[in-house]
Amino acid sequence: MRFVWIIAIAVPLFAQTAEECQKHEHYGRRSEARQCFEKLTGSANSATKAEGFWGLRQFKEANNAFRLAVATAPKNASYRVRWGRLLLDRFNAKDAADLFQEAVELDPKNAQAALGLALVASDGFDSKAVGMANKALELDPKLTEAQELLASLALEDNTPEKAIAEAEKALKMSPESFDGMAILGTIDLLRDKKSTPWFDAILKINPVYGEGYAIAGKFFVLNRRYVEGIEYYRKAIALSPDDSASRAQLGVNLMRLGEEKEGREQLMKCFDEGFRNALVTNSLTLMDSYKNFLTFKTENTIVKVHKKEADLIHPYVEAELKRAIATYEKKYKMKLPGPVQVEVYPDHEDFAVRTMGMPGLGALGVTFGNVVAMDSPSGRRPGTFHWASTLWHELSHVYVLSATKHRVPRWFTEGLAVHEETAAAPDWGDRLDPEAIRAIKEKKLLPIATLDRGFIRPTYPTQVVVSYFQAGRICDYIAKTWSYDKLLDMMHDFAQNTTTSEVVEKELGMKPEEFDKKFIAWLEAQTKSTVDGFDDWKKKIRLLTESAKSGPPDVVIRAGLLIRDVYPDYVETGSVYELLYDAYLAKGDKPNAMAQLEKYSAVGGRSSTLIKKLAALQEEAGKKKEAAASLERLNYIYPFDEELHRRLGGLWLDQGNTKGAVAEFSAVIASKPLDQATSHFNLARALKSDNRTEDAKEQLLLALEAAPGYKPAQHLLLEMSGK
Amino acid sequence: MAAAAEVGCSLKLASLLLFSALSAHATTFCVTIAGLGGEPEYEQRFATWAKEIDQTLKGAGPDVKSETLSGPDATRARFRAALESIAKEAKPQDSLVVMMIGHGSFDNVDYKINLPGPDVSATELAALLDRIPAGRQLVVNMTSASGGSVHALQKPNRTVITATRTGSEKNATVFARYWVEALRDAAADTDKNEVITALEAFKYAELKTKQFYETQKRLSTEHAALDGGNQQGPLLAARFSLLRIGSIQNAAKDPAKQALLAKREQLEAQIDQLKFQKAATPTDEYKKRISALLLELARTQAELDK
Repeated sequence: MRFVWIIAIAVPLFAQTAEECQKHEHYGRRSEARQCFEKLTGSANSATKAEGFWGLRQFKEANNAFRLAVATAPKNASYRVRWGRLLLDRFNAKDAADLFQEAVELDPKNAQAALGLALVASDGFDSKAVGMANKALELDPKLTEAQELLASLALEDNTPEKAIAEAEKALKMSPESFDGMAILGTIDLLRDKKSTPWFDAILKINPVYGEGYAIAGKFFVLNRRYVEGIEYYRKAIALSPDDSASRAQLGVNLMRLGEEKEGREQLMKCFDEGFRNALVTNSLTLMDSYKNFLTFKTENTIVKVHKKEADLIHPYVEAELKRAIATYEKKYKMKLPGPVQVEVYPDHEDFAVRTMGMPGLGALGVTFGNVVAMDSPSGRRPGTFHWASTLWHELSHVYVLSATKHRVPRWFTEGLAVHEETAAAPDWGDRLDPEAIRAIKEKKLLPIATLDRGFIRPTYPTQVVVSYFQAGRICDYIAKTWSYDKLLDMMHDFAQNTTTSEVVEKELGMKPEEFDKKFIAWLEAQTKSTVDGFDDWKKKIRLLTESAKSGPPDVVIRAGLLIRDVYPDYVETGSVYELLYDAYLAKGDKPNAMAQLEKYSAVGGRSSTLIKKLAALQEEAGKKKEAAASLERLNYIYPFDEELHRRLGGLWLDQGNTKGAVAEFSAVIASKPLDQATSHFNLARALKSDNRTEDAKEQLLLALEAAPGYKPAQHLLLEMSGK
Repeated sequence: MAAAAEVGCSLKLASLLLFSALSAHATTFCVTIAGLGGEPEYEQRFATWAKEIDQTLKGAGPDVKSETLSGPDATRARFRAALESIAKEAKPQDSLVVMMIGHGSFDNVDYKINLPGPDVSATELAALLDRIPAGRQLVVNMTSASGGSVHALQKPNRTVITATRTGSEKNATVFARYWVEALRDAAADTDKNEVITALEAFKYAELKTKQFYETQKRLSTEHAALDGGNQQGPLLAARFSLLRIGSIQNAAKDPAKQALLAKREQLEAQIDQLKFQKAATPTDEYKKRISALLLELARTQAELDK
């Protein structure tokens, strides 16, 4: 609980006492504080009584007392503010915000209410937090806590100089501003200074004040320096063993790094002590579900997948992980110190637990040190998620974080990861989407020096997505204009705790502002036809869609060809490619229908249905190699498709790719097909072609066990048994 | 199925022979009806499914008599007339299949299929079916709320398949789409005996329907049922041959091969028995015995196919 001077909420007799209680706490006199709070609980004033219960951590009683206080004095804004602060401490931000808002309505000049709203916004990494904190300071220029919050927000935005200035202001307002000191100390630590005076300064005033280290822990975690973050949380709870919030963070971050045993112990302790916020309960629930996961280990990989889909997904994930590791070892010119752990969650809610409380992290995958957690493709609709692209993205983070010892701005590691997606395969990665087009058109892209803010504290709903796009294109631009090695040089500079501005100047030989101008000019030139034509394209595709419902195919084709290349990256449902494909097919023009889908696939279209149609047309046209390549793309998008594996297995077998055929027909079996006999028989054929005779016989017997009269399998059995 | 490379993805097309299990002279009567769609999308969807079933049946051989009603033809009068006509013609050794596509409703008392003009209730349909002397009957009611028709339609010699378990599952169904697919996909013949039974088609459509909802990340609003979940249902359905494929009948017509046929049947029975005892048999022994039996069966079949 933060130290807050309580004013004007209690009757005179107890007002001083309440303040005294807080003072005891401030100076670490726990026993005295406790006695003081106990006295408060005997107060006739409900609000004072509530403060007493709150101080004694009797939250339910405190909540009841505040409810009574507000009912007794409904016009008292301060009661609502204090009640709101209690609720905010006890994980109920929504009701807290309502109370702060009610307080503002009762008393528009209530600085504490404005501060409360700022704290709620800050908890949710909402960009309004800064404005609300400033508002609180306008209303009460001596409100140190608001000033401390501004320092914290500036550091969250990765603007340490500003954070220092704000923290120093807080210390001018109150020389005993613990949070101000903690922010200054944290900045020293983040900058790898060998020592910092600030934590000792806090402890001189309050020898048991662990929250200073908790602030350091929070910022190390936000900067993805989890190991150090964990150490500071340990220091925090060593000083304040009752600080369940820090203990919860310790537990969660241990879990993030794969230290599940201790992580669970810490979280259980929080739970047992009544600290049961969403982070604690969801994390424990997730850990309980680990019994349903299987772990597969190799020399350099650990793959954790749900039992129900392990047979199918594990071989693909492991193979792709190994391929990515081999590629990145060459690209980043380094080896990782240990194996990479990849956790694949079929339930998105489980995955979401892994990112709780972390701003700007991907919605599909997340990396903590050497641990990658990601959605399983089974958890999403086919065509909406490219799991392999996500895996390569996250693995890039593992390398960049390892190479920089986690000292890297968010924009750079995300940008490089986005760049790597398309470098792995041109049709991977995300396309130019309408949000990015709008941002380019409306000049909403951020300067490189402050791009991190777009990830952490977005000012418009799609800014995180746009920031990923921008960061990726910045890395594309640097690789193209300078070289890929220049990106590596920048990465190594960041490892020295250098700022973006310094790195840009050093490596690219220009000021960040100049870089911004050149980059924007490059990006605008690249996207000009799409950005300029976007509004017109939107109108025309609507007309085209209507026309496709009943119009003659020739009309659709003529209109479609006119707009298709205005926005070639649009490969979502109802794309021009799809409409043209339908129109050509309606005319019986299969070659042109196929050509549309080939373009669609090359640009990055991900619809399983359309790509399977493309493969069928290619196969029909005798382009079996291309058909196999089309189907193989789907393995990286939605491998939970028995038909896909069966068709691809057949194509591989035709082309003599026996290992590919074995893999695909094995995937059919893993899909638990209805037609067991054919599935085992197909695998037997592939194994036989791969000279694995005994395995082939095994499969053949399984086929015949399911269907004893299955003639093709009988023929093969006779053939393999020498009749 | 001749070429091994085609296995698993080919369609059963011209070689389909329908419902000829009982005797060379038995006839299978089929009536398919696609009711009102209400919206153009559903109208088209229902008509397409009915048409696909019709095409399959038309290619099924001379022992099949089929009538398909869709669009404006799918009226109560036409439906009744089709069934009344069969009632006059059918004999006890014949089979009857009624397939219903469309929207249905259930008012907690009776089920109705929505048709242009007056609807037909399950009670009315049951009365019509009861008048048909065909000894084996199959009703495949693929409409929404079709579960509500089970009670009225159930009868000892009649298998009832419904797209929904109860009458309260009222959303439009996709089961029919996969039932149509089952009649055309060789994969539905899971025991590879060249016959697709009602049970195999049901299991195929049921699984595909389930996968449809899982893949689309939609809450499943239909749960197919066989005889309303009656334990005896699968047994009856397993004996109801829907489609026959290929050369299976030819051997039966050749007196010279009767001994081989008898041997094959014996081996099949031994395999079934061994599979039944699998859990109680040591793994190595099971494997040895089943391998020997399967090899012998393959040899016998090869002789039969000569």
